[in-house]
Amino acid sequence: MAISAGITLTSAAGDLTSNTLALSSTSSLTKAGLATPLTNTSGLARKTTSYASSGVIDTTVLFRADDYTNNGANKVYLKNISATATEYFTVYLTGDRGGETHTYASSLIEIGRLYAGDWMFMPWNATAGTKEAFTATFANTWAAGDTFTFDGVTVIAGGSGLNENAAAVDATQFPNWTTSVASAVVTFTSRTSRADLEIDSTEAVVVTAGDGTAAIATTVEGTKSASDIYIKPSVHTDMTMEHVLFYE
Amino acid sequence: MATTAAMQLNSDLMTGVLSASASTTMMKAGTTADGLDQMRMGYNKVPTGTSFDLLNATAAGVDKATKVYICNESTDETYYVTIVIDAKTIGRLYGGDWMFIPWNQDDVTHDLEITATGGTNNITWICFHEGETLTTQDASLGASD
Repeated sequence: MAISAGITLTSAAGDLTSNTLALSSTSSLTKAGLATPLTNTSGLARKTTSYASSGVIDTTVLFRADDYTNNGANKVYLKNISATATEYFTVYLTGDRGGETHTYASSLIEIGRLYAGDWMFMPWNATAGTKEAFTATFANTWAAGDTFTFDGVTVIAGGSGLNENAAAVDATQFPNWTTSVASAVVTFTSRTSRADLEIDSTEAVVVTAGDGTAAIATTVEGTKSASDIYIKPSVHTDMTMEHVLFYE
Repeated sequence: MATTAAMQLNSDLMTGVLSASASTTMMKAGTTADGLDQMRMGYNKVPTGTSFDLLNATAAGVDKATKVYICNESTDETYYVTIVIDAKTIGRLYGGDWMFIPWNQDDVTHDLEITATGGTNNITWICFHEGETLTTQDASLGASD
């Protein structure tokens, strides 16, 4: 398998300078520090943005760093397929310039603007944040029919065994969390890096006939992703971004 | 004036052919008739370890359609340069890799910086832009200084 990316920059004599400018380069997209090709791609895809009015235009996350290898040789291709010269997408990475009054320009790091027909091809570090984690420790007296509810999912106890019920919770799929279990302790880990999560017994609710508990304790404080790729259109009417990601 | 940037992506990664091509004529921001009319270019040998400003942001580059091409000409695939804008790491260009990006110099800290790793990396770069305020000669120095 092989992936090649070629670029040709040309300017005829008398255009930019009195002489012709011609430069070309072709790269084989390989894994970091290796000669072996990258093996994954998002495929060629399009994202159309649309908002009700110009006053509510917002950013869209195109790629989340959590999903890809940090410090790899990932490459991103983006193209604004608009044909209206004044329409542009602004491309950003997650950022946070401390000490500033936050605007789009400071809460994100702007790479630049892709005007109509413009394209870009760049390496992407995909630096993720830290995923929040907490434990639920099953204790005291549980009985069949007791429930543990979290993230929109209710697990019904099959019996009185603490380890058994913890295992049942671990076997359940939660939309926004992954789990692991050790004896009567279930560890939940957020599927995405976020700094805004703090789980307690108001989110992880136990209903038991006896005095059964599932004490919640945060074990890892989450942080936001460090380099998600955001785009923001310049107009609220339909604009479309074409994109491909090659990644490790 | 018109400078074009064309690219071609080809891959046999999937069972079907993945191919994409694009060509853009580099215009000033928001126009179709007036091409970017200035450029800076260079070829540098970047020693490992130290961060360097490859391109300094200027007020004339705010909200423009500046484009930057960088190619790591190193032939050792373990060598790479880390590309940083405003202290934010964009990614790594390994030996043989190139990149082509828009660059909005939205404030004076928006410099484009590189750091080499592995050994001395050889870098070709071009910045296509509009509007540049040249620095006035320091009057305290003689013309020949």
